Amino acid sequence: METYTATNNPHPVEQAERIKTVDMIRGFALLGILLMNIMGFGINWDMWSNVLNGPHNTKDFFTFATIETFFDGTMRGLFSMLFGAGMILFTLNKHEVPGGPSVTEYYYRRLLWLVLFGMFNAFILLWFGDILYFYGLCGMVLYVFRKTSPKWLLVLGLVCMSVTMLKQQLQWNETREKRKAYVEAVKAEKEKKILTDEQVAARTEWQEIEKRTKPDTTFTNRNLRKMRSSYTTVYQYWLPMNVEGEVWGLYHQWFWDGLTMMFFGMALFSLGFFSNRLRTSTYVMCLLIGYGIGIPIGWFAFKEGLLVMVTDYSHYVDNFRMNHQLLYDFRRGLLSLGHASLLLLIFRSRLVPWLMKALSNVGQMAFTNYLIQSIICTWFFYGYGFGYYNKFAFHQLYYFVFCVWIVQLIYSSIWLHYFRFGPFEWLWRSLTYWKRQPMKR
Amino acid sequence: MPSQFTEPGQGTSNSYTIDHDAGNSRIFSLDVIRGIALLGILLISIWEFGGFSINQQTGIRISTKANNHSLLVSMLFLFEGKMRALFSLVFGAGMMLYMNKPNRLMLPSTQELYIRRQMWLMAFGLINAIILLWPGDILFQYGVMGILLFPFFRMSKKGLLIAAIFCTLIYCGKLFWNYADDKTSHKKFKAVTLVEERIKKDSATRHNKDSISGMTKAELKKSDSLAKKRDTLTKEQQKDKGAWEGLVKNIKYDSTKVKDSTENKAMHAGYAKMWNHLLERSQWKEALWLYRIGFWDIGSMMLLGMALFGFGFFNADFSKTKYILFAVIGILAGLSLAWFRLHYGNAKLIDYEKYISGHALPPNQFFPIERLLMAMGYAGLIMLLLRLKILQWLWQALASVGRMAFTNYLMQTIICTLFFYGYAFGYFGRLSLPQLYFFVAEIWLVQTVFSVGWLRYYEYGPVEWLWRWLIYGKRFPNNKKTG
Repeated sequence: METYTATNNPHPVEQAERIKTVDMIRGFALLGILLMNIMGFGINWDMWSNVLNGPHNTKDFFTFATIETFFDGTMRGLFSMLFGAGMILFTLNKHEVPGGPSVTEYYYRRLLWLVLFGMFNAFILLWFGDILYFYGLCGMVLYVFRKTSPKWLLVLGLVCMSVTMLKQQLQWNETREKRKAYVEAVKAEKEKKILTDEQVAARTEWQEIEKRTKPDTTFTNRNLRKMRSSYTTVYQYWLPMNVEGEVWGLYHQWFWDGLTMMFFGMALFSLGFFSNRLRTSTYVMCLLIGYGIGIPIGWFAFKEGLLVMVTDYSHYVDNFRMNHQLLYDFRRGLLSLGHASLLLLIFRSRLVPWLMKALSNVGQMAFTNYLIQSIICTWFFYGYGFGYYNKFAFHQLYYFVFCVWIVQLIYSSIWLHYFRFGPFEWLWRSLTYWKRQPMKR
Repeated sequence: MPSQFTEPGQGTSNSYTIDHDAGNSRIFSLDVIRGIALLGILLISIWEFGGFSINQQTGIRISTKANNHSLLVSMLFLFEGKMRALFSLVFGAGMMLYMNKPNRLMLPSTQELYIRRQMWLMAFGLINAIILLWPGDILFQYGVMGILLFPFFRMSKKGLLIAAIFCTLIYCGKLFWNYADDKTSHKKFKAVTLVEERIKKDSATRHNKDSISGMTKAELKKSDSLAKKRDTLTKEQQKDKGAWEGLVKNIKYDSTKVKDSTENKAMHAGYAKMWNHLLERSQWKEALWLYRIGFWDIGSMMLLGMALFGFGFFNADFSKTKYILFAVIGILAGLSLAWFRLHYGNAKLIDYEKYISGHALPPNQFFPIERLLMAMGYAGLIMLLLRLKILQWLWQALASVGRMAFTNYLMQTIICTLFFYGYAFGYFGRLSLPQLYFFVAEIWLVQTVFSVGWLRYYEYGPVEWLWRWLIYGKRFPNNKKTG
């Protein structure tokens, strides 16, 4: 049923209506995303095998293990959760005006612009890890579930998670079949049998697969050369890969990846989790469960999964019926829950109110900050900017991340002191409402 | 005179009852056009259903003496792409019609229902493609496009028209872009052939020189093999060569492969094997095709349909002369563009290398405009005929088909897959072109009779009824109210 109140036009959310803790967690997640993204921005692809195949007592290895165990996918997960929560906030907080565009329309306009901004981020700013495009499209699906009960939202999230798991496992089974065929072919060869055409094909196919898991110097060198080149070169270099991501990445992975966490986020939001409405003991419980289960899985997936996979792929395929990524969403869901609980507990304890305030400022202009991360990092690392691509050791990248955090925390607070929205938020809102929005406080 | 074109008994009389809220907003002409487009789509998609391979098509196209040449060419002229364009046109118009429905108490808002409707359409499309195994499915894409274009429904009719033209031009640009890619590929190939020629010449002269200088045979052999090692193409060059050769091979008619045996074998397998075989094709259509082509292909015509709806085109608001103009200009201009497309298309099919070195534009460069004009022409013609009030029974029947378009679309899949695919009757690749069209006519007859009969007793087609149930989350009675 529609509620009609004639007085209020649909308008951007005002300061008073904003939920501080939601912004705070969003800011935290936004900054955290850079922990993972920096690997794409700043360092060549052979980093993985270099770090993991190298000695285990280096700073690089230690940093990598920490990031993988505690953060891999979790910040994006948290960000997706808050995106889901934001959808509910956007649609349910507004009043309809008879005759004018409805909230539904504004919502879809907003998302269509988000999709375009995502394409801008990927194709123009050349950040191939863009998520805005996927968020925009996932959000279009979410809308009809905005009034669904938390229980069913949880079920929906689990369904999406199962789709990912199923795809994951089917693919893994296929890989294992290929490996098996290869092993048989090699065995037959050793027995001096004449190989059938199929066996020969199986042998070469597996050899190709295995080759791809090892760093290919021509490939990585090419990447390095391209990334340190001019804008047009990088543009052309990324064009097909960006398309690949927006087509097949969306279809096979990001759609489900996003929806899983968005549904969980909507459920958690409906339960009052993000708006700081639950009891302290509940948050402590969530923290214990989230970290208590998430961290061991994360460590195990790193130590027995990723590490084995990168160092000895064949051994890995032979020995594991399931890929270590199978529990990916399960793990990161729990860890995200843990991170959010921790943050909320800190907020409640009033230990560092200034930091919490700064985080919520970052979160309030998350869209701007996300795009600015792209701008800063591409200009710092890519060839047409300062060209620092692959010039840092892996752990040194995180000094840079830390600097970006400080910068973003500071300018967000300053900006919001004078203005109501972040600059890109203002643009986005003005486009959505197709009317210049007031900006100054 | 809009009232003539709304069905009797479907006026505003039952606007208070919630169970007929979609029924009172039908436009007769839209149903007719939808029905025609729906039946017409099968004229082209039967090729894919029935295993009339692209290679066969090429063979018949390039030789005027081939059997069924004129049949195939007239299909290409009159229907290829046009029926789907017409379908998209009506889809866009239907969206506007749906949006005009007022909100009702105790029910979700019209817009919410619309979004749900599109999402269920996507779900049905996935079933059609992945369970019923029809990789040519378009329901999924229509569902997606309906959501993406939802924010545009409030745009002015002029704005929509401009947007439609814009999308059509982008579509043309995309086709040009694809051609430019082919051109680059050809250029690279050319460069490699030059290198190859040089290598050949070099090794011949070296061999000559070496033998004159009095090398022994063993030395000669060694020197040759050394030179060979140095002079073979690099991996990249081989790849470039292979890319173009593959492209040409795909296009060229291969008389030895009139019946594509691997494809035929795969299509005569059991369900599980066929599922594996067709999955990739369906996914390609749902992801890559939609992103690259479908968005513009469907989007441009949908926007045009939305604009025409705004101008009152489907309400017979235009004068008779205007409809005549639409029909004559649209069809004639469309046909002449089609002539160019097929003429140059033949040149491409016969020798792509020759074509690509001599032509700046691809044969299908103006295909988006051609089908747009033709679809408008057809729509104008239908509106005109409806006005003339002749063949009323036929229009009534076609409107019935159009009112059950969803049911009929899925029914086409079910009939055709069962008839052609290996897990049922397995006629895939076994029928000639005229036989295929005999089969199409048969389906048309069955669908028309079924639709007319069904709608005599029920308000909605069976799938439409299920669709509504899913959209509203509650079941409505489907029996026709009498009296």
